[in-house]
Amino acid sequence: MSAALDYTRQEMMAIATGREIRDGELAIFGVGLSMLAGFFAQANHAPNLRSMTEGGVYGATPVGGLPWGIECNRLAVNATSFTSALDALGFLVASGRCDVGVIGAAQVDKFGNVNTTGIWDGEIGPHYRPPKTRLPGAGGANDIACGAKRFIVMVTHEPKRFAEKVTYISSPGYLDGGLSRAQHGFVGGGPSAIITTLGILRPEPGTNEFVLDGWFPFSSVEEIKAHTGWALRVAPDAREIPAPSETELANLRKVDETGALRKK
Amino acid sequence: MSNKLISLAEAGRRFSWDGMQYASGAALPVGSDALVFGRELLRQKRKDLHAIFHCCGQQLNLLAAAGAATKAECGFAALEVVGFANGLRRAVESGQLALEDFSNLAMTLRLLGGALNWPFVPATVNIGSDLQDRSAFAPDDYPAHSKIPAVTDPFSGKTIGAFSPLKPDVAAIHVTLADPNGNAILIGTEWSRYELSRAAKRVVLIADAIVDPACIRQFPNLVRIPEIIVEAVVYWPFGAWPHSSPGVYDMDEQHMFFMNKALATEQGTADYIRDFVDSYSDIDSYLDVIGRDKIKTLSASNSSFLLDPYRRWILAPEDVAGLTTTELAA
Repeated sequence: MSAALDYTRQEMMAIATGREIRDGELAIFGVGLSMLAGFFAQANHAPNLRSMTEGGVYGATPVGGLPWGIECNRLAVNATSFTSALDALGFLVASGRCDVGVIGAAQVDKFGNVNTTGIWDGEIGPHYRPPKTRLPGAGGANDIACGAKRFIVMVTHEPKRFAEKVTYISSPGYLDGGLSRAQHGFVGGGPSAIITTLGILRPEPGTNEFVLDGWFPFSSVEEIKAHTGWALRVAPDAREIPAPSETELANLRKVDETGALRKK
Repeated sequence: MSNKLISLAEAGRRFSWDGMQYASGAALPVGSDALVFGRELLRQKRKDLHAIFHCCGQQLNLLAAAGAATKAECGFAALEVVGFANGLRRAVESGQLALEDFSNLAMTLRLLGGALNWPFVPATVNIGSDLQDRSAFAPDDYPAHSKIPAVTDPFSGKTIGAFSPLKPDVAAIHVTLADPNGNAILIGTEWSRYELSRAAKRVVLIADAIVDPACIRQFPNLVRIPEIIVEAVVYWPFGAWPHSSPGVYDMDEQHMFFMNKALATEQGTADYIRDFVDSYSDIDSYLDVIGRDKIKTLSASNSSFLLDPYRRWILAPEDVAGLTTTELAA
């Protein structure tokens, strides 16, 4: 029984993300967690997944441990194609060809907007000022958020990361909700899920506000609400998300050979 | 066709000046980068640099930490799994360096626009977010109209954005192989080095190895940077260290973390510059600074087979030294 299985929150998050990815899709992943979720999907249920990274290194699987970056030699050792940013993020993502992308977030809000640029004390205000804590910036995530048919946000579920409104929009979700995203004419449809260390949030049709869709077996509606910085509503059909099966865990751990996700 | 091999110090003297727009040709933050040219900029005490870096690697981290760069434009400003870029972070948070944010695709498109001499590049990404609305270069322009201005698509009537093209004064581009004339082969992702090589006003190649021109004639399809747009070629082994160069050496994990930790403080940065920037006088002493045992370990890369097709044409260091002049051919 799955209840007897021992797995970490990070492993549950990676498996839940992997379950969102369908066989045959053209998918783009970042380094780290997002890559593990993607390679898990490929090993588990999506053998014909066409996966890529924004680095333009295609057809590669990590050798000798988790890559330090998407251009790391640990991926370059068995690539089938070396191209470029213009190819990966332009021809294959901004063009509208890419089915699904997975991005991370330092801060996410109730409309699925993502901040990876900085942490300010309070609002930035009308005069731009440097953040108190500078973060990596948009990278390729903005391009994925604008261009991929749908994207998934993976984020640790902590109150400070789940804000009513992000201080800085690095990558657009549904902006101010409703139809506000549509006015920019993006080829990409927007975020389809926020997958956290506690559960899954999905956009409510119409308002595009993220509501609780499900909680992981070790969590609860109460815990997730307490860890969310806005008044989180619960979808009428919200439910407990199935724990990882034995097969899923085995497939994930094959991919995560160094055990990066097993550290509690 | 002319031999363009010059020394690193000479390249620094001829192709850098205070206040210039300087671009580094690199892969993403832990891969190929003309890092040693950045060290040379510090050795030559360059300041007020306006850095055009597709991604921040240890080079921008170092230039920012040392206070040599006061402006930067970037798509990604960290070191991927190695962590936040402490030197850049410190410079940005203190206000010493203004960092203008774009996305990774935006930086490539802006270089493409510069290469084609386009007046602007249509922007279908970055619009609608704070990448468009916030400008570190024009902090009072909010929502910013000068950074990615809204324009109308003349065909559909839709509102999109306009990216400004980039034409950096100088690009130092890391390549795996170059012949003495400046024809280059890159192993690994080229990221935006193809676009950059055409956008920059002057291109200096920093090559891990110099090959006989016969190699170039064997693989002309693989020559993504041709001699006709290159001003100078610098031979400098381990020029991307502590980053990796696919086919040649792996990332130096220990030094990546050590360097980033050092750059987190002013004192650490001063010590780093003393020990790893001002501490060598030529290629041999540079390799001594890295450590000969370390060189052996890093060179034993699983990716080494990628270099195999080219090995028979690689020139010995003494032959390269013989070809390296201090005067550029006319």
